[in-house]
Amino acid sequence: MSAFVEFKNVKKTYKTGEVEIHALKDATFEIGKGEFCVIVGASGAGKTTILNILGGMDTLTSGSVRLDGREISKLSKKELTAYRRYDIGFVFQFYNLVQNLTAKENVELAAQICKDPLDAEEVLKQVGLGERMKNFPAQLSGGEQQRVAIARALAKNPKLLLCDEPTGALDYNTGKAVLKLLQDTCRKKGMTVVVITHNSALAAMADRIITVKSGTVESMRLNTEIVDVEDIEW
Amino acid sequence: MPMRSKLKVSSFREIKSTFGRFFAIMAIIALGVGFFSGVKITTPAMVNTVGGFMNDHELFDYRIVSTLGWEEDDVAALKGREDVRAAEGAYALDLLVNDKDKNELVFKTHSLTDGVNVPEILEGRMPQNNGEVLIDGKTSFKVGDKFTVSEGNTEDTLDSFIPRELTVTGRIYSPAYVHFERGSTTIGSGKVSGYIYLDKSAFDMEAYTELYVKLDHELEVYSDDYKDYMAEREDSWEKAAEEQADERYDRIVSEAEDKLADGRQELEDSREEGQQKLDDAKAELDDAKAELDDAAQKLTDAEKEIADGEKEIADNEKKLKDAKKTLDDTEVTLVSGKAQLDSASATLAASKAQLDEGERQLRDGEAAFAAAKAQLDDGAAQIEAGQAEIDAQKAALDAQNEQFMSQYGELLGMLDMLPPEQAAAISAGKAQLDSGYEQLSAAQAELDAKKQELAAGQTELSAQQAVLEQSRAQLEAGRAQYQQGWAEYSASLAQYQSGKAQYEKGLRDYEDGKKQLEDGKAELEKGRQEYEDGKEDYEEGLKKYEDGEAEYQDGVTSFDEEIAKGEQELADGEQELRDLKKPDVFLLDRNTNIGYACFENDSEIVEQVARVFPIFFILVAALVCMTTMSRMVEERRTQIGTLKALGYSERAIMGKFTFYAGSAAVLGCVLGYGVGTVLFPKVIWMTYKLMYIELDIDYLFDAKLAAIAGAVAIACSVGAAWLSCRYELSETAAGLMRPKAPKAGKRVFLERFPFIWNRLKFLHKVTIRNIFRYKKRFFMMIVGISGCTALLLTGFGLKDSVSDFAEVQYEEIVTADASVTFRADDSGNMPQELSHQLDGMGAQYACVYTGAWDLVKKDVTKSMSLVAPVDYADMKGSMNFTDTEGTPLDAPSGDEAMVSISVAERYNVKVGDEITLRDENMRVLKFRVKSVFDNHVYNYVFVPYEALGRQLGEQIDINSAYIKFRQGEDVSKAQTAIGKLDDVVSITLFRDLKKRLSDSMSSLDYVVLLVIISAAGLAFIVLYNLTNINITEREREIATIKVLGFFRGETAAYVLRENIFLTALGIVAGLGLGVLLHRFVMAQIVVDLVSFKVRILPMSFVYSIALTFLFNLAVNAVMSRKLEKINMAESLKSVE
Repeated sequence: MSAFVEFKNVKKTYKTGEVEIHALKDATFEIGKGEFCVIVGASGAGKTTILNILGGMDTLTSGSVRLDGREISKLSKKELTAYRRYDIGFVFQFYNLVQNLTAKENVELAAQICKDPLDAEEVLKQVGLGERMKNFPAQLSGGEQQRVAIARALAKNPKLLLCDEPTGALDYNTGKAVLKLLQDTCRKKGMTVVVITHNSALAAMADRIITVKSGTVESMRLNTEIVDVEDIEW
Repeated sequence: MPMRSKLKVSSFREIKSTFGRFFAIMAIIALGVGFFSGVKITTPAMVNTVGGFMNDHELFDYRIVSTLGWEEDDVAALKGREDVRAAEGAYALDLLVNDKDKNELVFKTHSLTDGVNVPEILEGRMPQNNGEVLIDGKTSFKVGDKFTVSEGNTEDTLDSFIPRELTVTGRIYSPAYVHFERGSTTIGSGKVSGYIYLDKSAFDMEAYTELYVKLDHELEVYSDDYKDYMAEREDSWEKAAEEQADERYDRIVSEAEDKLADGRQELEDSREEGQQKLDDAKAELDDAKAELDDAAQKLTDAEKEIADGEKEIADNEKKLKDAKKTLDDTEVTLVSGKAQLDSASATLAASKAQLDEGERQLRDGEAAFAAAKAQLDDGAAQIEAGQAEIDAQKAALDAQNEQFMSQYGELLGMLDMLPPEQAAAISAGKAQLDSGYEQLSAAQAELDAKKQELAAGQTELSAQQAVLEQSRAQLEAGRAQYQQGWAEYSASLAQYQSGKAQYEKGLRDYEDGKKQLEDGKAELEKGRQEYEDGKEDYEEGLKKYEDGEAEYQDGVTSFDEEIAKGEQELADGEQELRDLKKPDVFLLDRNTNIGYACFENDSEIVEQVARVFPIFFILVAALVCMTTMSRMVEERRTQIGTLKALGYSERAIMGKFTFYAGSAAVLGCVLGYGVGTVLFPKVIWMTYKLMYIELDIDYLFDAKLAAIAGAVAIACSVGAAWLSCRYELSETAAGLMRPKAPKAGKRVFLERFPFIWNRLKFLHKVTIRNIFRYKKRFFMMIVGISGCTALLLTGFGLKDSVSDFAEVQYEEIVTADASVTFRADDSGNMPQELSHQLDGMGAQYACVYTGAWDLVKKDVTKSMSLVAPVDYADMKGSMNFTDTEGTPLDAPSGDEAMVSISVAERYNVKVGDEITLRDENMRVLKFRVKSVFDNHVYNYVFVPYEALGRQLGEQIDINSAYIKFRQGEDVSKAQTAIGKLDDVVSITLFRDLKKRLSDSMSSLDYVVLLVIISAAGLAFIVLYNLTNINITEREREIATIKVLGFFRGETAAYVLRENIFLTALGIVAGLGLGVLLHRFVMAQIVVDLVSFKVRILPMSFVYSIALTFLFNLAVNAVMSRKLEKINMAESLKSVE
């Protein structure tokens, strides 16, 4: 089985004036379709850079990135936008819901622009917010908000669901619930999910664990003993 | 304090990093302050400029007019008052002149005054003699132009004004004429072309017509200080002026009385003197008469003497004549006696000679007798001898003849038969014989005659012998007679000798007498000559006397007349003096000067506008500052918390923000004030100076205004900063460092209507939600955008209302091409020359009476143009009377009037009202207003012509006509042709009027441009600032949607759609606001004689909307670039 996501010798250098920052030195990894992948690393290790590049939000300096066989490292700005639009679902640490839109509308905001979106209400029901669809973000708790965010990402029916510290702003239990939702989505829908976190404890629930350190992939391994979310402690 | 300074560094860094925001605050403050201070300073700057001119050139404070005029004494008396700087008497009159093209013009003519109303010489020099003038600088006349004083002036004017030729030596601005309006006049065309100033010596009047006073102050015109100053003095001056006038009255009265007394005395004196002279003349005449009579007597005597002398001479003459006759007779007798004597003597002598001759003849006769006797005897002897010879010859011849006859006798009968020679010989022989016979016969005859003669001679001799004997006897008798005659003659001669002596003595006596008579005659002649001379002298004397007498009679008559006249004059004078009223005095202050009063009003227009516009700007500026600063403070929440946690005082933290806002405000304020106070007065004055003297506007720095503008600007910005900070600072440091709860989403009102809401596109819903999410921003956007639209609409509307009215007036309302004023002919009709000319051109015309009449209402008296067309039907094609909706109006009839809309609106005249009109001669007309017609230039009252004559009870001549030329006529040529006619006073082309009006109003374009630029600036700043805030505030949201995969255009639309929507909303509000603002501004602009059509054309709405959108799009274009730059990584950051 060829890799669904393929990072090959990816290098990313930021230039700020005279100073060169090597965010990624040489990252190579792959993720299989339908896998639940966790990328862990300390702050500054380069995981956000990987996320940015994978999410089509940033370009790379050298190397190649492929998604479902498509070379995305060579895409133009506009193609990148289309890539984000149709292929990627994003879940942010701080949810990034539009405050002025209700839960359902936030989902619709994303669904609107897709070729083959899922029904917003359906998705919300799936994430367990069937009753709160008409609430504004301010009226929802953090977990609920993150669920809306997940629903928003899912509704786009993306090829890849990227989650940036999805539990970062949530309390322990809520975080667990959210993780559970993500895992369930992966399992039930066959969605490829990539979770980026500094919390290595979460690695236990992943199919594939990629450890990042100082701009390089330290290790990549398939998890043989997948632990259920409920059983993870951190 | 190093700590503080680091905070300052942070402040400067803040400014640098958020320069867009800093600039926005600065710009809106600059715009607000600029507009506010610029418009506010304009009126004072204009007043300062024009008022400064008035003060510098000593505009009068009082113009004092008395019905009796003023004299130098009066001027001196008033000049003596303590608060007077200058007082001058002046002459003024309206003068009719002709320019070089013979056009008739009217000039307001003034004498130059020292120290008051001093003109500013723009070009040229002061007059040096009384024919040199300074001319109105608002006219186009040049230095060197010449005028002639028209003969059309009244006698009074011609008497009062000396020069007849005027030369312009300078162009001036007079402080008394700052406005271009020159008023009207009753002479010429009624239009004043300008004013002129001349030296006092050009006037020849008894008294000054007015007295100008300049008080000793330098107070600003129109200022309250000035008004107070004048109010303080009014009573005292009024009293002084009245007293002075009364004094003049008393002076006139006493002078007149003195003069009358003198006159009376003089009359008496002259009466006496005259009488004396007449009496003397009479006596002289009488003497002369006596003398003449003497002379006449003498002449008569002389005449008689001469007659006597003549008679005597005649007698003597007669005597002499008789004597002469006697003498002549005697002479005749003597002469005849002498002749007799002489003839007798001659006779005697002749007789003697005869006697002697007779004697001699007798003796000759006797001798001749004797000789004759002897001869006769001889002859007798000869005859006897001849007889004998003849007889002998006869005998010989007879013998020959017998022989021959014997030989040839027989042959003679046979001659033919003989031979020829023989025959010839016989014939010859025969002929010889015959001739012999014949000769003999002749000799015999001759002898016989001689025998006879001898016989006669013998007889005669015998007779002669008898006569001889008789003559002897006679001679003897004659001798005796002669002896006797001689004796007789001797006796007569003696007698004659004595008679002659006697005669000669008588002749001598006669000569003597004759001489005596001649002498007498000469003497008489001399006497007669003397008499003639005397007579002539006498007659001459008589004539002289008669002349003298006639003269004397004339003298008497004229003396009587003179005395009567003198008496009449005295009586008149006395009457006049009795009639002389106490003078009316008018103390006129500056408000009675058109320029002064108009300028106060006109400059206030700007102030009126200044009341509304700037508030708009200040309000918007305040709102912009407020939003910007509160946003900034919100953004710097964490920083504030950190600083607070670090232990900075609230004041220090607040200082950072107030410094930011304050410095922007101060910079903006300085910039705005600087540009605004220079630019606005300049541009606005550009339009005003067309109506006023064209001075350069003074820059006026008003510290108070600057302080107010600064204070307001700083209050707005610093206040906004302070308020925002205060709110944030009230939280604890910890609270501040926590992210602020995002503003909750809310359903909008529209969602209650699902049928609308559900139909909206999803993203539109988002937009609508967002719009109503931020109320403050929404409000600001609406205010800003609507303000912008309203300003634009007002600007364009100003142009629509103002620029077009001249075209409407002279294309739609007045459709005639020209108006001509003329002098009517004797029967009150259009002069024939003109009507012929017009008919010849094929022009249509309507004859009217037109004149300036005052509309008299309770509190106002305003000059109107009264027009009375002879026939309203003729006015078709010249003027369209419609109401404001364009419905045609009927002509007035009877005592009805039609008034123009300006009259109706400004003087509150309504249909059905009765209006009263009055002219200079206080004649009054009353009309009922029938209708109000649409009209923009001049205040018109149209009435029926027939009503004038009827109401005034006198014939009113037409004096003007509206002309509509034939299509294609060369109007300028027609104008010249008509203008040349004698009785035409003036001709005006409406085309020219239209151009003049349009030109003067086109200057408003600057104002419109100014408004549009300001509006654009306002719109741009507001939109930029708000959009900027909107974007920075929602940076995270925008980054998120970008991550979600919104394309560039979609992202921009997501944000800017709000702008467009708000702009649309602002425009709708702005249009309404603009219409109101336009109306308000138009109501402030009051130009005399002109009523603007308050309207905004559809295109102006379009322009305003389009421009507002254009500004919006420009801002959006700038902003979409800014959106582009938003980093998606922002979405990953934690909420600050």
